Amino acid sequence: MAIIIEAQDVKKSFRVAKRRPGLLGGLRSIINPEVRTVHAVNDLNIEIQRGELVALVGPNGAGKSTTIKMLTGILVPSGGYVRVAGLKPVEQRRELAAHIGVVFGQRTQLWWDLPLKDSLHLLRHLYRVPEERYTANLKHLSEMLELDEFIETPVRQLSLGQRMRGDLAAALLHDPELLYLDEPTIGLDVVAKARIREFLLSVNAKRGTTILLTTHDMDDVELLCPRMLIIDHGRKLYDGSVTAIRERFGGERILIAVLETALQNQSALQEELPAGVSLLSSQGPRLELSFGQRSLPAHELVAWLGARYPLHDVTFQEPEIEDVIRRIYEEGLLLKEGAGVKKH
Amino acid sequence: MRMFLYDARLYFWLISMQIRAQWQYKFNLFLDIVTYFGVTALEIISLLLFFIPFPTLLGWKVGEVALLGSIMSISFGLAELVGAGIDNFGDMVRRGEFDRMLLRPIGAFTQVIGSDFRLRRLGRITQGGAGIVVALWFLPNLHWTLTKVLVLSIGILSGTVIFVAILLLGATICFWTIETTELTNMLTYGAREMLSYPLTIYNLVLQRIFLFVFPVAFGTFVPACYILGRPLPFNMPGEVAFLAPVIALIFALIASQIWRLGMRRYQSTGS
Amino acid sequence: MFRFYCEVARTAFRRQAIYRWANLAGLATNIFFSAIFSYIIIGLFHVRPSVAGFTLVDTLRYTWLVQALLMIIIPFGWTDLMLTIRTGEVVTDLSKPCNFYWYWFSREVGRNGYYILFRALPIYLAGMLFFKLGAPAIGPNWLGFGLSVLLGTMLGIAYRFLYNIVAFWIVEARSMITLAQTSALFFTGSYIPIPFLPPWARSIVEWLPFNGLMNLPSQILLGKISGGTFWLEVARQVGWVMVLTCGCLLLTRMATRRVVSQGG
Repeated sequence: MAIIIEAQDVKKSFRVAKRRPGLLGGLRSIINPEVRTVHAVNDLNIEIQRGELVALVGPNGAGKSTTIKMLTGILVPSGGYVRVAGLKPVEQRRELAAHIGVVFGQRTQLWWDLPLKDSLHLLRHLYRVPEERYTANLKHLSEMLELDEFIETPVRQLSLGQRMRGDLAAALLHDPELLYLDEPTIGLDVVAKARIREFLLSVNAKRGTTILLTTHDMDDVELLCPRMLIIDHGRKLYDGSVTAIRERFGGERILIAVLETALQNQSALQEELPAGVSLLSSQGPRLELSFGQRSLPAHELVAWLGARYPLHDVTFQEPEIEDVIRRIYEEGLLLKEGAGVKKH
Repeated sequence: MRMFLYDARLYFWLISMQIRAQWQYKFNLFLDIVTYFGVTALEIISLLLFFIPFPTLLGWKVGEVALLGSIMSISFGLAELVGAGIDNFGDMVRRGEFDRMLLRPIGAFTQVIGSDFRLRRLGRITQGGAGIVVALWFLPNLHWTLTKVLVLSIGILSGTVIFVAILLLGATICFWTIETTELTNMLTYGAREMLSYPLTIYNLVLQRIFLFVFPVAFGTFVPACYILGRPLPFNMPGEVAFLAPVIALIFALIASQIWRLGMRRYQSTGS
Repeated sequence: MFRFYCEVARTAFRRQAIYRWANLAGLATNIFFSAIFSYIIIGLFHVRPSVAGFTLVDTLRYTWLVQALLMIIIPFGWTDLMLTIRTGEVVTDLSKPCNFYWYWFSREVGRNGYYILFRALPIYLAGMLFFKLGAPAIGPNWLGFGLSVLLGTMLGIAYRFLYNIVAFWIVEARSMITLAQTSALFFTGSYIPIPFLPPWARSIVEWLPFNGLMNLPSQILLGKISGGTFWLEVARQVGWVMVLTCGCLLLTRMATRRVVSQGG
């Protein structure tokens, strides 16, 4: 597979003027600003192969958008090497633009007061898409996204989900090799989300479009992206699969057991528990036990519990990816590049 | 050249979208144009009223000042109509729309200027046209020649270009700070207000500024003097009125270079 | 209740103080435009020493006074109330346990307090500096001015409330607001000093509510109106304050009923 995004030791630092308080201070800040350097991105290494579906995850202000801006050529890196689709993003920004499609979930690029069709038609000219290719692409996208039902409607009258479908079509009209999505499912209902995800998967599979998306919705990551990058404070915290990180940091699973009768002696149970297992709560017959996957296989814990108490029902709760990320932050579990995780 | 033609065609695509979008609200648009006409007409009416107690303004008669003000209204109105997208630039940066433009394979300037075409500014332009009629009524003895009409037309167009360039300079400041947008309004609206009156009423520093730094006077005052046969300050011959397009282009070129500089800064700071 | 309104005013004062840069830019703009008007007036006075009892210095003082009072009495572009109506925020304000009009009145009093200190005074001081205006008046004129400017402010607040509250009934009120503001500015001497108007126009303008906004206080401070005329003018001003305030209260009641009947 060919590399589409390559970033080595990319850095970005900003000089931020600090404002002094008060009106006089404000005037002084203009003449003699107090400057402080902020390192938004530090020695970032990213390598993405053509056809990959990658999620870029991190808290607000982590450096995600700075990274994306550098990858698209809007922002000049302070240092490091960047190539996207074989081009230098800053020097060849306009050339590169023809290779990428962008969707911002929060802001549409469609013309608010006019029918969707008009926006698509204008974008054809903005991206210099030849007539036949435009017609073919539009036909194809209309079928996949079912645009026909609202293509004549002014964009302001569309539902959020319809608007997002329109925006996706707009971003894909020029056959980009790389699609960058910023919060593509934000604010959508479950059905609309599922529809967008299904579409993205099929675009990726059928057209081989590389997709890089930022999101706060962990379902997006789990359902769409085999690979995820976690960024915080401008550094890469993690680069690997969702399952791998869950195994590594989300080792704690939760067993919810409902006994035939209410638990009589809580402290006795607590003393007896095998190593690596802890009692989270007990309420009448309902117990919640957390356990590490490595310390004890799930079936053994069930057997252990079943030997002591008659069991009515047993369920497992998988750790949420949010919890996993929170744990990384809380415990400061900074990952060395690829440590313990198989890279692609 | 082919690039330029393509950009020009795109610009027309973009503004035709704008016009169609604004046309969706025909009634409001009509109301806005009428209001704008009324508001700007009050300015001209006040101007005329001043000449009831005072016969002249430093030798300029009512019709002459009205002509000057009307030329300004037309060229400034045109600049507002065409340059509305540039005028909005601060908001565009703040809302991230400018980043979106940088992600398209088309020049940013074409997209910025194509992002708006404020039809309601037709109100001011109409007022300028009506103002010229009023001015001519006050100036029955003014002798018109073909060259005067030519000077008037190139003057108005040059004035428009100069004002759009000033708007662009104001927009460029947004690359450094977005807190001063109101100060650039002062430059555009202030220049319009000042140059609606004979330049010679201001002190020499201001006169020089509006002739040689922000050459707005070449779009209004200089052609008006040529038409009215009045002398120009600093002993300039009246024929400099023909230089208006050259001066406007030079000024626009300087403004576009500064804009490029701003773009480069934007790409290194992203602010 | 009075303490509540005072608190509202105090908050509005502080809120205005936050927009430091916008305020500074606005101040610069006001000064710049006053300077342009001054140049025009100086140019006009070249041919006559005085008009309608106004000398050049009188006219310059009048112009700078009107520009100084501008943001206090007719804040240009004031659509705060209209915006709350548009966003629906107004419903919470209407349901506050106080009178809706006096609530907005207090807000505006607070803002005006800010504008007196950081707009009006600096503007006039700048005029004194650049155009050697000198103090506009001495002694007793200030008393009359104080009374009249207070009434003018009340009139101004009522007026801006009126042209904003129409947004309850008119969807796109923006151009109406522009027209309302511009005509008020015109009829109170911001475009051309009222004394310069021909007598027949002046006699009409004097009966309009706008006269009491900025023209009257300015003329009083310059000592152009005194004795019996002063009391007549103030009486007219009081009359208009009462009419406009009653109008505000009436429209508030109608608007409340409208909101309630629509179920908020």
